[in-house]
Amino acid sequence: MDSRDPSRLVAALARNQINVDLKTVDLCFLAGLYIRADRLASFEEDMLVDLFEQVCDVVEPGAENPRKRATHAIQRLREQRMLARVDGAGIVRAGEYALTRLAAAIVEYFLADEALTRESLTLLTGALRAQLAELLAAAKRAQTSEAWKQSVIGPLRVTVGDLVQGIERRQRGLDAQQEEVQAEIASLLHADWFGAVERCQSLLDTTTTTLRELNEVLLRDTHHFVALLQEIQTIATDAGNAEAEEAVQRVIEHVDRIAAWGAARQRAWSDYYQFVHRYLRDVVRLDPDRALSQRLRAQIAGWTELPFHVLVAYAPSIRLLRPLEARVDRPAVTRARADREPDPSIVAPEDALADLEALVRAALADGAVELVDVTGRLLGGVRPELRYAMTGRIAELLARLAHVKSERERPWRTAFERIEIEDWRVAPRGLRR
Amino acid sequence: MTASTFQSLEDVIRDGHFPDTDLALRRGRHIGRDDGAAYEFLVDAADHLEPFYRRFGCELVQRSDGYFYLLPSGDKLGRRHLSAGEMLVGQTLALLYLDPSTVQHGGVLGRETLLQRLAGLVGTESLVRTLSPRRRKFDERVAAETVRTQVGEAVRKLADLGFVDVVDDGRLRLRPALLRFAEPVRGLEDPTRALEKLVIRGEVILGDAGNTGDDDSTSDDEGSP
Repeated sequence: MDSRDPSRLVAALARNQINVDLKTVDLCFLAGLYIRADRLASFEEDMLVDLFEQVCDVVEPGAENPRKRATHAIQRLREQRMLARVDGAGIVRAGEYALTRLAAAIVEYFLADEALTRESLTLLTGALRAQLAELLAAAKRAQTSEAWKQSVIGPLRVTVGDLVQGIERRQRGLDAQQEEVQAEIASLLHADWFGAVERCQSLLDTTTTTLRELNEVLLRDTHHFVALLQEIQTIATDAGNAEAEEAVQRVIEHVDRIAAWGAARQRAWSDYYQFVHRYLRDVVRLDPDRALSQRLRAQIAGWTELPFHVLVAYAPSIRLLRPLEARVDRPAVTRARADREPDPSIVAPEDALADLEALVRAALADGAVELVDVTGRLLGGVRPELRYAMTGRIAELLARLAHVKSERERPWRTAFERIEIEDWRVAPRGLRR
Repeated sequence: MTASTFQSLEDVIRDGHFPDTDLALRRGRHIGRDDGAAYEFLVDAADHLEPFYRRFGCELVQRSDGYFYLLPSGDKLGRRHLSAGEMLVGQTLALLYLDPSTVQHGGVLGRETLLQRLAGLVGTESLVRTLSPRRRKFDERVAAETVRTQVGEAVRKLADLGFVDVVDDGRLRLRPALLRFAEPVRGLEDPTRALEKLVIRGEVILGDAGNTGDDDSTSDDEGSP
C-alpha cells in the first residue's frame, strides 16, 4: 500500500525519463530466464548468451550474429532494470546476473493465469479471515506501542495487504477473462452464426455462474472482514494508537473496493447477458441464414432511389398560455427641450501671423541681423505651447522680409529656453519691399 | 384476455406509470424492455390500453422484439414521418444492431463507427446530397462538418423516439426498436410488396417526403396520409 503523493511520483518518473521498451525477443528471453530461475539463483554471462541464442532460434530463425545481438539485449535489459549484475567483480571476471523484481512481475503477468475462481477466492478469503482474527486477538493483548507495531500494524500492512492485493489481482484477471469471453462470443457469431448459438449460450451461462458465486462469497466475507477490522480499529482508538487506526482504515477501504468490484461487475455482466440473450433469440434464431443483414444492406444502398419514411406519433407538448396581463402604454422615450445652439458673441479679431510679421519687421528695424536674435526677442511674448511652431514661422518671415546670407556651416545656437536653431544672418537694413 | 393485474381501464389510468408512459407513446417514443417499469406496465395493461387508444384513432403496437409504440391511423392524434437523415441513420443503426461485432460491447458503439458505416453504405457524396439537398456546390470540409451535424441531430431525435440511448458524447446503445427500419426486408417476400403492405398499415409513407436540408427535419404530417 503506497502512500506517496501521486503527482510527486509522476514528476519523479518524468524527471528520470523512465521508460520500458521490450521487443518480443526480449520478452521471450526474460520468460526463459524466469523459468530457469526456479533452479538457479543467478546466471553466468555465458549462460545468458546461450539462452538468448536459443530464444533467437525460435523467435527470429536465421538472424545474423546472435552473440552480438545477445550482448546488446543484455545491455538493453540492464539499462531498463530488468537484469541486475549480482557478483560485484567488475572487470575481473565475467559477470553473474539475476532477474529484477520488475522483470519477474512482467513475465508473471504473461505467464500466470491468475483469474479469480470460486476456489481461489474461498482460499484467499479464508486465509484473510484467519489472519484478521489473529490480529484482533493480538490487538486485544497489545499494551505498548512497540507491541502494536510488531503484532498488529506490521502484519496488517504486509500479510493482510498481500492477501487483499492478491484478491484484487485475481479480480483484474477475471476482468480480462470476461473481455475474452465477449470477444469470443462475437467471433463465434461471425464465424458460425446460427451454429454458434449453443456455444455462446454456454459461455454466457458459465461466466454468469462464476460471477454470481464470486459475488456471493465476496458479499458474505467482506462483511466479516469489515466487522473484524472495525473491532481492531475500535481497540486502536481506545488505545490512542493513531498509526494502527490509519493502517486499519486503509485495509477497510481496500476491502470496500473489493466488494464494490463484485457488485459492479455483476451489474455490467447482467446488462451484457440480457443484450446477448435477446440477440441470440430475436436476431440469430429468427434469421438462421443471416439473410436479414444482406437484405437490409441492399435496402440502405437503394434507399435514395426508392425512399420511404417511418411514421411515428407526434403529439406536441401541451401548450401553456401565459397569464393575462393588462396592456400598459409605455410613454415614448423623450428628452427635455432646451436651446442647444448658444447665441454668437463678439470677440476681438485675432491674426497672430500678421502680428508676428509686424514684430519681425520691428526687430529688423531695430538692427537685429541674426535669426537667433530675432527669435529670442519674439519668443518671450509667445505662450510656451506655441513657441516651437512660432520658431519656424519667425524663420520663414525673416527669410521672406530680408536678404539671407547663407553660410556653409550654420551653427546651432540657443534661441530661447529649450529651443536650439540653426542660425543664419540677414543683410543689415536689407529689408525687402 | 391474459392474466393482468389491472381489472379495468380505470385501474390502468390510476396507475402511477400511466401519465409518463402515455405521454411518451403520444410523442412517438418506442418503449422497450430497457425502459423497465414502463415496459412492464404496458405489458400488463396492453389489453385495456389497446381499445383505449383505438378511440383516438391509434393502434398500440407490440412487437415480438420487445417494444411498444403508438401508430396513429386517423386524424385525432398528430403524426410525423422521419426525415431523410433520420431514415439513413436509423437503417444504418439497424444494420449495426444485427452485426455480431456490436454484440461484443453489449450493443454499445461509437459515433465514429456509425459515420464510417454510413459513408461506406451510402457513399460520401450521396450522403451529403441526401442530407443537404438544397446545396449545389460543396466544399469538402464544410460538407463533412454538415454531415456530422446532421447525423448528430438525427441521432438525438432517434434517441427521443427510443431507437437508441445516448450513453455519452461519443457512444450510443442500440435498442431493439431499430428493427422497425428493417421491417420491409424482414420477411422473405419482395421488398416492394412488403413496403406496400407497410404503407397500407400506416407504418411508412413512400416517396421523397421532405428532407432535412438545412432546416428543421421535423416533418409534420397531421391527418390522413
